[in-house]
Amino acid sequence: MSMYQVKPIVGGDIKIELPTCMYKLPNVHVPESASGCPEKTLKNRGTEVDPVIRALEVRQDDIMRRLYELKAAVDGLAKTVTTPDADLDQTVTSLSESPTATAFRGTSDLDSLLGKDLGALRDIVINANPAQPPLTLLVLHAMLCQRYRMLSNIHVHSSVSEVPARLLSCLGVNHADSYVRQRFQLGFTLIWKDVPKLQMKFSIQNMCPIEGESNVARFLFRLLAPYPSDPALATLVDSLVDTAFFQLAEDRPGHLHSS
Amino acid sequence: MTKDGVQGVAEEADQAQSKKGLKKQQKEAEKAAKKAEKQAKLTTDQQSTDDDDIAKDRYGVAPMVQSSERLDRVLVRVQELTPEKADQLIWVRARIHTSRAKGKQCFLVLRQQQFNVQALVAVGERASKQMVKFAANITKESIVDVEGVVRKVEQKIESCTQQDVELHVDRIFVISQAEPRLPLQLEDCVRPEGEGDEDGRATVNQDTRLDNRVIDLRTTTSQAIFRLQSGVCQLFRDTLINKGFVEIQTPKIISAASEGGANVFTVSYFKTSAYLAQSPQLYKQMCICADFDKVFCVGPVFRAEDSNTHRHLTEFVGLDIELAFNYHYHEVIESITDTMVQIFKGLRDKFQTEIQTVGKQFPSEPFKFLEPTLRLEFMEGVAMLREAGVEMGDEEDLSTPNEKLLGRLVKEKYDTDFYVLDKYPLAVRPFYTMPDPNDNKYSNSYDMFMRGEEILSGAQRIHDAQLLTERAMHHNIDLEKIKAYIDSFRFGAPPHGGGGIGLERVCMLYLGLHNVRQTSMFPRDPKRLTP
Repeated sequence: MSMYQVKPIVGGDIKIELPTCMYKLPNVHVPESASGCPEKTLKNRGTEVDPVIRALEVRQDDIMRRLYELKAAVDGLAKTVTTPDADLDQTVTSLSESPTATAFRGTSDLDSLLGKDLGALRDIVINANPAQPPLTLLVLHAMLCQRYRMLSNIHVHSSVSEVPARLLSCLGVNHADSYVRQRFQLGFTLIWKDVPKLQMKFSIQNMCPIEGESNVARFLFRLLAPYPSDPALATLVDSLVDTAFFQLAEDRPGHLHSS
Repeated sequence: MTKDGVQGVAEEADQAQSKKGLKKQQKEAEKAAKKAEKQAKLTTDQQSTDDDDIAKDRYGVAPMVQSSERLDRVLVRVQELTPEKADQLIWVRARIHTSRAKGKQCFLVLRQQQFNVQALVAVGERASKQMVKFAANITKESIVDVEGVVRKVEQKIESCTQQDVELHVDRIFVISQAEPRLPLQLEDCVRPEGEGDEDGRATVNQDTRLDNRVIDLRTTTSQAIFRLQSGVCQLFRDTLINKGFVEIQTPKIISAASEGGANVFTVSYFKTSAYLAQSPQLYKQMCICADFDKVFCVGPVFRAEDSNTHRHLTEFVGLDIELAFNYHYHEVIESITDTMVQIFKGLRDKFQTEIQTVGKQFPSEPFKFLEPTLRLEFMEGVAMLREAGVEMGDEEDLSTPNEKLLGRLVKEKYDTDFYVLDKYPLAVRPFYTMPDPNDNKYSNSYDMFMRGEEILSGAQRIHDAQLLTERAMHHNIDLEKIKAYIDSFRFGAPPHGGGGIGLERVCMLYLGLHNVRQTSMFPRDPKRLTP
């Protein structure tokens, strides 16, 4: 060793604050015996497991559990769509165990909500631009499916030449009975169309078209739960919806992500 | 026998007409001959007097093309005259659309089908005064061969389809001369309705057009309409062939009326009489029973309906489809509607020029449709009409005004010009229509609509001989007369359905025109047998 010996400038006991948003890795500078290189950890598993690895495993298990939960929820939803008389699956009810969920149970009569039944299928027509899929409406559609016998259809308007395949199946599989329209309580017809603003049409005789995703969402939500009768609360709900949609409008994704 | 009488009268009328026509023709021929003589004399005179004509070999009336020689000359299409061809010397064969002489210049508009280009003959190195005069005197609609240089123009020529170039004429030869007096002017034929009224300019009425169909068909509008019509046929065939259909040919002379007894033309058939087919339905169905599985045919269909409306013809081109299905007749509906959608898409994507051209004379909203096609049920349609204030019974058929109104309501809500109305009441459909399994007041039948007008009527057909007999008896139909039809189903028949559309009507409605005669090349209606 032909080098100079230098006195350490700083003490060896400094505390370094590591950023928490990153993965922890074993210290490569510390002598091997004290650390756990991957191979070694695997070998010594059970006896002396690195707490970092353990934390990772816990996280992974957690993710898996959440995935299973989601899968169960989706299965439950699918079941209610294909067999509308079946009771809601346990997972679904547990999932929607939110304050609003209880409100859904107050049955709302479609006749009183949408006017007298004239023998025609009550068809809600939504014109949406495929460049901006109405994600909130897809969620509301799924919730409506739990409540009503829904006939869901997707069309492409001639003003649009091509639509990604996923947008053509975003309302789930078609109901087995879909060949008899009269068997359904409510129709949900989504038309991918070149429109500047999302648009909903229901009764062309008695109702103006509703424009904007938030307004349509309000309309659809009212089919699920009565709006708060307290004006202050109703205003609050409205402003919350507006805030939500303003935020959505700011970083709107260009294409459909799984919600 | 009535038919003989009718024929007799028709013949007489024909003869009278032809006598008159003959005289007229003769006179006209004489006139033309005199004129030609005069013209020839004039040209020879001119030639003799103008020995100093520097361009005398560069213009004239070419000898009649009798295939005496075969020139190795390339003729460029007017459509292809674009700035890329600038400064090239080319030959064009076209009609003189208009000509306008101005001092030492003459502007011609040369037309070829839907396209036209401006040409200029000007006194200069290569053209003499006489040549300009000759060019200016060529009658409209004459066919000429022109050699010229393509030149880019500074200002777009708004009146022509080839807006960026014009042709500087070096040589001009008349190939076929038109008579100087045209029975109608092409500009008048393409003038949008209403526009002429203001400036006191003429528009041509339908009958005049049809009487002079050859000239009327030369207009850009007619050229576009019939090109588009050919496209409909082509797309219909292509789509169905792709779907595994077989094209069949069916007889048009038949022994018994196919759809009920009324509205058939009787023709004498040696010692007995026969009928002209109202629809190829029976034969389509027989092909299904013969295991062709999916068939279509394109051919004339005859209806002896004495209705003089904007949408009825006594002879039209039927595009018919029939197919066996597996379990539900909606398979048939889907197959037909998809074919229609493919046609609409093909037209939208490949025939935009034609659509625009027709739109210049007959403006209309572009045709809108949904994919997959919207299917509503008859009951829903009735409910929509009732909501709009129409009073009608559950099992009542839709009247034409109600169909139109429903079309508007559907358009308003779904923004589509094409939709299917399914599940018609059994009572308003022919006896061979399959009843609805859940409610025998209704049936497995459907109509399709374009812009609120019915274009196709179809159904699942009864493929069981016994049920068919029952239904026929219920309709009080003489079983003897339809024995052959019922017998077709005795030896096993697959479940099947189909329908047919009228080519002329589809074209008319697609383009938003208002008379089916505009989309029939040589229309036949109760009052017209010629040309």
